[in-house]
Amino acid sequence: MPSLRIATAAAFVSLLALGSSAGWAQAPKRGGTVHAIVTPEPPMLMQGLSQTGPTNMVAGNIYESLLRFDEKLNPQPSLARSWEVTDGAKVYTFKLQPNVKWHDGKPFSAEDVVFTLDKFLREVHPRWRPIANAQVEKIEQLDAETVRITLKQPFGPLLFAMEVASAPIVPKHVYEGTDYKANPMNNTPIGTGPFKLKEWKRGSYIHLVRNEDYWIKDKPALDEVFWQIIPDAASRAVAYETGKVDVLTGGSVDIFDVPRLAQLPNTCVTTKGWEMFAPHAWITVNHRNGILGNKQFRQGLMHAIDREFGKDVVWNGYGKIPTGPISSKTKFYSDDVKKYDYDVKKARDLIKQSGYKGETIKFLALPYGETWTRWAEAVKQNFAEVGVNLEIVTTDVPGWVQKTSDWDFDLTFNFLYQLGDPAIGVSRSYVSSNIAKGNPFGNVGGYSNPEADKFFADAAVAATEAERQTLYTKVQQILAEDLPVLWLLEMDFPTIHRCNVKNLVTTAIGVNDGFRDAWKE
Amino acid sequence: MSGLARFARNRGALIGLVLLVLLIAVALLGPSLYPTSPWRLVGRPFMAPFAMDRFPLGTDTLGRDIAAGLVHGARVSLLIGLVSTLVSLMIGVPVGALAGYLGGVADDLLMRFTEFFQTIPSFALAIVIVAILQPSLTSIVIAIAIVSWPPVARLVRGEVMSLRSREYVLAAVTVGQSTPRIILTQVLPNTVAPIVVMGSLMVASAILLESSLSFLGLGDPNLMTWGYMVGAGRTRLLDAWWISFLPGLAIFLTVLALNLVGEGLNDALNPRLARGRD
Amino acid sequence: MGLIRFLALRLGKGILVLFAIAVLNFLLVRAAPGDPAQVMAGEAGAADAVFLEQLRERFGLDRPLPEQLWVYIKGYSTLDLGFSYRQQRPVAEVIFERLPATLLLTGAAFGLSLVLGVVLGALAARRVGRASDSAITVAALIFYATPLFWIALMSQVVFSLKLGWLPNVGYETIGANLTGAARALDIGRHLVLPAVTLGLFFTALYARMMRASMLEVAGADFVKTAHAKGLSPAVVTRRHMARNAILPVVTLAGVQAGQLVGGAVLTETVFAWPGIGRLMYEALVQRDYSVLLGVFFISSAMVILFNLVTDLLYRVVDPRIEGGA
Repeated sequence: MPSLRIATAAAFVSLLALGSSAGWAQAPKRGGTVHAIVTPEPPMLMQGLSQTGPTNMVAGNIYESLLRFDEKLNPQPSLARSWEVTDGAKVYTFKLQPNVKWHDGKPFSAEDVVFTLDKFLREVHPRWRPIANAQVEKIEQLDAETVRITLKQPFGPLLFAMEVASAPIVPKHVYEGTDYKANPMNNTPIGTGPFKLKEWKRGSYIHLVRNEDYWIKDKPALDEVFWQIIPDAASRAVAYETGKVDVLTGGSVDIFDVPRLAQLPNTCVTTKGWEMFAPHAWITVNHRNGILGNKQFRQGLMHAIDREFGKDVVWNGYGKIPTGPISSKTKFYSDDVKKYDYDVKKARDLIKQSGYKGETIKFLALPYGETWTRWAEAVKQNFAEVGVNLEIVTTDVPGWVQKTSDWDFDLTFNFLYQLGDPAIGVSRSYVSSNIAKGNPFGNVGGYSNPEADKFFADAAVAATEAERQTLYTKVQQILAEDLPVLWLLEMDFPTIHRCNVKNLVTTAIGVNDGFRDAWKE
Repeated sequence: MSGLARFARNRGALIGLVLLVLLIAVALLGPSLYPTSPWRLVGRPFMAPFAMDRFPLGTDTLGRDIAAGLVHGARVSLLIGLVSTLVSLMIGVPVGALAGYLGGVADDLLMRFTEFFQTIPSFALAIVIVAILQPSLTSIVIAIAIVSWPPVARLVRGEVMSLRSREYVLAAVTVGQSTPRIILTQVLPNTVAPIVVMGSLMVASAILLESSLSFLGLGDPNLMTWGYMVGAGRTRLLDAWWISFLPGLAIFLTVLALNLVGEGLNDALNPRLARGRD
Repeated sequence: MGLIRFLALRLGKGILVLFAIAVLNFLLVRAAPGDPAQVMAGEAGAADAVFLEQLRERFGLDRPLPEQLWVYIKGYSTLDLGFSYRQQRPVAEVIFERLPATLLLTGAAFGLSLVLGVVLGALAARRVGRASDSAITVAALIFYATPLFWIALMSQVVFSLKLGWLPNVGYETIGANLTGAARALDIGRHLVLPAVTLGLFFTALYARMMRASMLEVAGADFVKTAHAKGLSPAVVTRRHMARNAILPVVTLAGVQAGQLVGGAVLTETVFAWPGIGRLMYEALVQRDYSVLLGVFFISSAMVILFNLVTDLLYRVVDPRIEGGA
């Protein structure tokens, strides 16, 4: 009987391994305030109802899930103190932490977990809903501290879905029997996390204070955390330089500013804390539009893009050139695939053979800030070198989402989180069953290959890791040949912080797991 | 003293005129000075001005030639200023002329209509229009024109009202000329001076408005404008000042030139105001 | 025309204009591509058809457009500005918590620019053609012709980063828990850079206008008479010329004061000032329709109010003027 058991102690060991050497030699000091940047302002902090990046960044302090993950993506205890996988990887049994209280003082129990996973998130969460509906047979409470999830078939990535943004545990006593989305308590979120919401001054800051009744004794170390909202990237950089903020979270300053800020005294930079997300950037190709459906043409484009320039100049050296659909940080990556180097001559030949006649191709830019705009301009020049005419079309975020989800584009940028496992974060962009209007993160390009579909489907439910690896290697080879999209970069989002803020990033989702372990020297 | 002489005696106006002529020359000759696209990645990024002879004004974040950008940007920025001003004159002059000449209910309705556009905060309105139409040269020109025509209408209305009772207009009415003809041939030609003055200032504010829209990421992504260059380089103000300073300087000089010329014209065409100088 | 009748007429017309603006804004805003559900889906990096449907139903976006317009107009007629589903709070609450910051910023900028503009303009006109006139004119042109966001960033770099005199962003020191005079001083320090940045542009505008207006008045008969009576030039400038020359400046300022309320988008963005200009821009890019329409409505109402106040002021300053439309 395959069984996987991790004791609470394991978390402690990994924590030590991750913390900076100075950080681990000293005992965490109590007290202190940390000012961090969140951008843009989150719409709300109720993490079960809103999965926006800024919400996750702040709400990870308020809510908790069953598991956390270390930077190698190994599961660590959080609200679950241990777990067991039995019955041919179909039954997951979670033992919960005792003595956990909600922020309003009510006790936390297995009832809350069952309510959250079986009722609340199944109704409202766009990532949990499909898993719950397709994979889960039943979710039940065995006793006050034990929850059992029975699957219809083995589903390798189930544990990854227990990460806090994917499955934050919400209080049953607040939500049961209410209209979840209209519940007035959504503005005063109640979680089990290390910090409580004290005040949210819209347009200025979100003020979190220490949860005195937190279930880990002596944690958190910090008294309060202020999440500041500063809309302009250049002003955020100056705010760090003048000491107004201590932590610039990933993506909050222009990537060009990072080296300059890194040289300031008492400043540390880390690219850790994004292993779970492993953001993968590419150019989505609309296969329905004329020449773009031609494989040779796409291969030509791939050879035409100077991806090293994109990484070194546009992204200032951060990131890594990908080889295929799966990030080298994600499980089941393989580099045994066809490679595309920057080769203008090869690109010209392929494009010529494809029968391209100089028609203008529209490139929908991604409205996520200056760096993406610069990147679009660079790609346009790369394409011009091989005689492909690109016209850049800009719009704002709602316009981009609409055009992308309605397939109203020729080419566009996108970057998606891989979320630890290809079955959750990768296959969604390539399988034919995900070709549907209305979802910008589905298979919007319309790529369809029955062989790839089958490998993806089999790999998700294969019983052993070895079987899954074989299938995923095959699918990576197929996709690297077909080029459903043009992969550009495995992105890094450096977090900049004062070095005296210790243990800031200790897990695979970094600051999104909250400031539970952080302390200030 | 004739208007021309008064203009020529105005040192500021002359400086402005020289600047403006230079700018227009650069805009017209741009393509022959820098025949290739200003978007081309031609050198190492972040090269300072004069660091390399090939790039006298340095390179930007992607290694594009800033001098080429400025020259091509001159065309686009001046074009946007000019076209949007013409469009707003095309809306504002007829509205103002009709309101002023017809008076009564027509005047009331047209002025209410004008007021309407002056009531919505103009920059906010411009942003919304560009966002709705999606950023492009056309949508930017439309947005600028829509927010800038009301003052024109008010100005023309005032001028026409004062001209309406002049003898030669009354004479035209008496001989039975049609209203449109009177407005076009008798009234409007006499409002040209103040319109020209206002127009020169409007070109300047249109260029400023375009740069603010670009700053918010609402510029035309396929056109190199000064506003785009300032916006794109602004985060490097500290360690690569030239990337946003030079296009900023270009905007400043153009707006300055247009204002100096506009004021010179104002003094020259409207001698009453210039009395202090005589 | 009596003051009461004048006021009633103006208010009536103002309300009509406001109503028309409300309808136009609604149509304008809804013409933009995308909707709030798609924005939230886009930000979440995860969505499916069910998720979008749920959101649209919540926002009432699944109803026919005329019905939504009707609900909106009906709400406005009872001064109900609607509900922000993105923030899950009434729009009035969302706007009114931001309004004081904007009024403080624009009020300070406006006061500064008007006083400074009038004084500098009058000074330049008195010393026309001399060095001080040129200096004032050139300075005014520099501030008029430099993009506002550029001045904003430069001032942050110089006064916050290099000199360390003033904070670069925000409304007050976050987490300082100041009260009373200490808090007022703290807010004041935060106010300096945005208010001066925003004010300089208008200072330039008013100074130039005041100068031109003074020169125009200089030739008027009553000024000549005053000189002829042997009054000192300073007295003539102050009592006779400035009082009349200021009228067009006041008119322009009246229009702009209203515009400023909704128009400080760039300044509020760069200085992270928590006002409604920024709220407007954020609501636009998030397609938070009800908030966007609410900000438009409030700022349009402000413009109408300021215009009315200006006209009343006019009647006080210059009783000859009849309060027409």
